[in-house]
Amino acid sequence: MSKLQAVRASAHLTMMNFFADPQWIIPSIIAPFIFTMVALFLFVNVTGPVLLYAVLGGGLMGMWGTTVYGSGSSITFDRWNGTMEATLAAPVPLIWIIAGRVAWNTFIGVINGGLILAIGMLWFRTGIPIANPVPFVFATLVTYVSLSSFGLMLATIYVLSRKGGFIENSLEVPVYIATGTMFPVALLPLATQPIAFILGPTWGIEAIRKAAIAGYAGLGTSYWTDMVILIAETAVYFVISFYLFVRVEKLAKRNGTLEEY
Amino acid sequence: MALQVFLSSVNFGRKGTIIWDSPEMIGMQVFILPLFQISFFAILAQYIGYQGSAVQYIVVGNALQAMSYSSVFAVANITSSDKWQGTLATLIVTPANRMALFVGRAVFQAGLSVVIVLGGLFYATELFGVSFASADIPGVLLVILITSVTMMSFGLLISSIGLFMRTAMIVANVFLFLTMLVSGVNFPVSSLPAWLRPVGYAIPMTYGTSAIRLAIAGDPLGKIAPLLGDEVLVGAIVLLLGYLLMVGFERLARKTGRFEEY
Repeated sequence: MSKLQAVRASAHLTMMNFFADPQWIIPSIIAPFIFTMVALFLFVNVTGPVLLYAVLGGGLMGMWGTTVYGSGSSITFDRWNGTMEATLAAPVPLIWIIAGRVAWNTFIGVINGGLILAIGMLWFRTGIPIANPVPFVFATLVTYVSLSSFGLMLATIYVLSRKGGFIENSLEVPVYIATGTMFPVALLPLATQPIAFILGPTWGIEAIRKAAIAGYAGLGTSYWTDMVILIAETAVYFVISFYLFVRVEKLAKRNGTLEEY
Repeated sequence: MALQVFLSSVNFGRKGTIIWDSPEMIGMQVFILPLFQISFFAILAQYIGYQGSAVQYIVVGNALQAMSYSSVFAVANITSSDKWQGTLATLIVTPANRMALFVGRAVFQAGLSVVIVLGGLFYATELFGVSFASADIPGVLLVILITSVTMMSFGLLISSIGLFMRTAMIVANVFLFLTMLVSGVNFPVSSLPAWLRPVGYAIPMTYGTSAIRLAIAGDPLGKIAPLLGDEVLVGAIVLLLGYLLMVGFERLARKTGRFEEY
């Protein structure tokens, strides 16, 4: 089986599982949705394009939430259903199977983000004043790929560890904070700002806002600077993912410690 | 006999709910979730331009709401956990008192909720400057205890719904975060659209958030007692409703054999 075939088959199976029981999308939608709604209520007396600022942040939170939970839960469900070992024993490197799942889950994340955007705009009647639609769509797509690559990186931890639930739940809100989804990263303590800068979604949301909100300055970088950094970090995530998956798969097969931690 | 069932359920509730009460999950609920949830909304409030007491309003509200993971989500998943582990049918055929059985298993979560809120208030005072100098400490502790128990009742209501569904996790997830929006955690309930306010008033935490702010401000127990009375009343209604639903769904499930249809 070719690698592309494996990715396509894995994505297809994940899609079929999703449609068989779509209720599982709710846990990854509800937190970003509520956070966005709370933010919008808090923003209610503020003028300017802040509503669009908040709903864009909410959209990214939705994409992130679905990526985190999708990556983790697919592997957790493998454990619960007893198919983890069979997945690992398949004659195709594990990374291509997980890549297919992550690709579908992050696609749902983009839909999720769009839904939150639409609901926020409709509820607060902001309209859809995207200043530069083409750069906006491009930035969103690249951010989607970046989130997929980050989800792939996280998936290596889920393969080795039974603590997927702990990791998923612990990461969700810290990443909302660190990537500046609802407020600039400049407000964070100085010691934590480097963490924000090594996260691709930080640059993704910056580029998305620059494309959507006329006059938005953000970190003071240009749209294309943000995109270059985003693409570079995404490439690094992919390299790390490939390396980790090769190591994790060898470790799990050699030591038989797939479900020890 | 009911007392025996209750006590053994309390013991089993601590030992048996492995998924949500592993050491790392407890650590996450006590140390990680409250810190980041409070931080998110506090920084957001500061960014928007809220000052001093407005930020502290949000910090205290989120410190209390942080208990929802334990008191609502974990409790709501009691029936789901039994389903996944294949023990629910066995439990249902026992003649054990249902109220004692399920309330007993939720008691540990109520206790954990108290610890979570204390952790949240620690962050509130150490990191966000909330002052307890004039607080009525017994009043604060009483609010935390009553809110933990009444929200545990709320979790049991959702758990009862989960008896008939394949899993209560989805509904639990919704209500876990819904309290953040409708229970006066980040802004007064009066700021909500009129049609949404009854939802807030039907959740015990709404009264708890108001009461804890008054207690921290130094208002005596006499002044917060009406709020606590309302919270206890709503909690009792919610518990009774949960019990009736549980008994009703159990009868329906026995009659139709549709234990896990939805």
